[in-house]
Amino acid sequence: MAQEQLRFNCMHFMPYAHLPENHKDYKSVWVNFSNKNYDPHKGHALYQRYLAELVLADKLGYDAVVVNEHHNTVYSMMATPNLIAAALVPQTKRTRICVWGTPPNLMLPNRLAEEYAILDVMSNGRLEVAFPLGTGMEYWANPVSPATARDKFRESLKIILQAWTADGPTTHYGNHYTYRFLNPWPRPMQRPHPPCYIVGTGSPETIDIAAEYGFGYCSVFVPQERAHELNNNLRKRAQDFGHTIRPEQLPILTFVYVAESEELARAEYLPHLQAFFQDYVRTTPQYLAPPGYLSVDQLKIRAAGADKMHGGFDFDLISKAFFIAVGTPDKVAGQLARWAEWMGSSHINAVMHVADMPHWKTVKNLTLFAEEVIPRLRKDAPQQIAAE
Amino acid sequence: MFKREEFVVDGVKTVMHSAGSGEPVVFFHGAGTIDGFDFAAPWTDRFRVIAPYHPGFGESGDDPSFTDLHDYVMHYLELFDLLKLDTFNLVGLSLGGYLAAKFASEHGHRVKKLALIGPAGIIDPQHPMRDVLVIPGDQIPGLLTSNFEVIKKRLPEKPDLDFIGDRYRESGTVARLLWEHPADPKFMRYLHRLKMPVLIVWGEEDKLIPVQQAATWRKLVPHADIRTYPRAGHLVHLEQPDAAAAIAKFLS
Repeated sequence: MAQEQLRFNCMHFMPYAHLPENHKDYKSVWVNFSNKNYDPHKGHALYQRYLAELVLADKLGYDAVVVNEHHNTVYSMMATPNLIAAALVPQTKRTRICVWGTPPNLMLPNRLAEEYAILDVMSNGRLEVAFPLGTGMEYWANPVSPATARDKFRESLKIILQAWTADGPTTHYGNHYTYRFLNPWPRPMQRPHPPCYIVGTGSPETIDIAAEYGFGYCSVFVPQERAHELNNNLRKRAQDFGHTIRPEQLPILTFVYVAESEELARAEYLPHLQAFFQDYVRTTPQYLAPPGYLSVDQLKIRAAGADKMHGGFDFDLISKAFFIAVGTPDKVAGQLARWAEWMGSSHINAVMHVADMPHWKTVKNLTLFAEEVIPRLRKDAPQQIAAE
Repeated sequence: MFKREEFVVDGVKTVMHSAGSGEPVVFFHGAGTIDGFDFAAPWTDRFRVIAPYHPGFGESGDDPSFTDLHDYVMHYLELFDLLKLDTFNLVGLSLGGYLAAKFASEHGHRVKKLALIGPAGIIDPQHPMRDVLVIPGDQIPGLLTSNFEVIKKRLPEKPDLDFIGDRYRESGTVARLLWEHPADPKFMRYLHRLKMPVLIVWGEEDKLIPVQQAATWRKLVPHADIRTYPRAGHLVHLEQPDAAAAIAKFLS
């Protein structure tokens, strides 16, 4: 199958990159890691810097910039990502703005529909949204039960889509929410609504939601083989609902670092990737799986398997397990092309900054990727992909 | 000695263990099931002991639509109809004590005598109950008793995935009931409707629900006989056989 025109996103987690010296003493940098460790002045400087990096991505021609939501953690300073997206709207011109996203069951659904519609209208139809269930950690931070989260998620999603697609006012009388006048102003610019994705770790319930609505799906932090299987599952399952999932609806979450040589790329990048896996995602099994958040079968699978994500670091292991491309433009372009082909995807969602990576490396990575990798992969660009 | 029976109660698989003959005594277990029912074995020479697993716990099935303690009250009305149990004695432990008191405040004519063991349900800002949903699972056994040996023999010797899964399932059931609303302010309001004889036993070293909450029970249910036991924690009926014997004597 000929590769479609590939699409490239620049994703940013916007971490708080000033962990205290004794941070290794803490089992978790999520949920209960005290916010006394957050210095607003350092935070201000980071926001300035991170926003500038995403604005640069727009100038360099990335197809989209991506932000997301996490609470109570150094991992992300985007507890309310719509504020970040709103700050990006007037500073960017062409790039799509992806909020991937707010768990719809953590917010009043009409309010989320409104905020996304405002972003879509302000940006002249550049918004894309994803609906995650949220990590287990988000449920310790929010007054929402992990045990009824999936039911509430489904109902919230239905309300948001109804708010966007049906002429208001409409009504909704459900298990969790009642709307006597569902009639949010404004409506989104894009019709019937901005492109939507489901983000998840592959539970069958979540795949089914994407299949039912014909939404895109992005698996996060699942091993490559599993991500491949999930894309296949979704394509098959979507047919049962009369939907055909297109390659651009299946973004591949990748970690990317490009430099002049393989050695230099590793030397410049690995300390930060190691910090990411060892320090920024470090949390406890309890916070990962609050009561009722996982099925008992899923909990047992996770309790039995060594957790590759949260706390350890072995680059060879991790780069085989996940989509991590580190090296020269030729090598990175080759890997991305193979992954896209194998995953049946035309959509690379690249994380271009991790952990405590300094600004200069981020700018270098963004620039080299835009000027040396993307042109190697565009259909209309000269084919320079190295042989495998 | 206990006989296992399985029922379908309004679509939910419900497993019940029972033994003995005589006046029926229904036992409501708490938010976990590792403590078992064997403490009631000595009661079976005088009573028919009926120990069901609540939906979402132990050997009973799940019903994810149960999101409120009142769903359990309705479940037991159905089960007792199936068993043709018109009136009976009711004993409840911890969350099961909360449920037993709630059941008895609504359906007092069916409960002859009510015994509560370290009951939950009281809102006491000075002596709050520990939030069991926030305690890591591996730390909970250590909080159940004063003498750890009492509970240790009921735990697996090596890490056991099935055991971990069973506990996770039960904590998920508790989360459906209590995550967003750990306490119901209306519960205390209706406790004055408990007109039957009431006994409350409490371990003086209860690390989950402070024994000081007994004072609130005394205020709300003035006729209750309240007994506390030294060198005993939350599972006072396991740690102090005197406490279990006192319940049997009260019910006689």
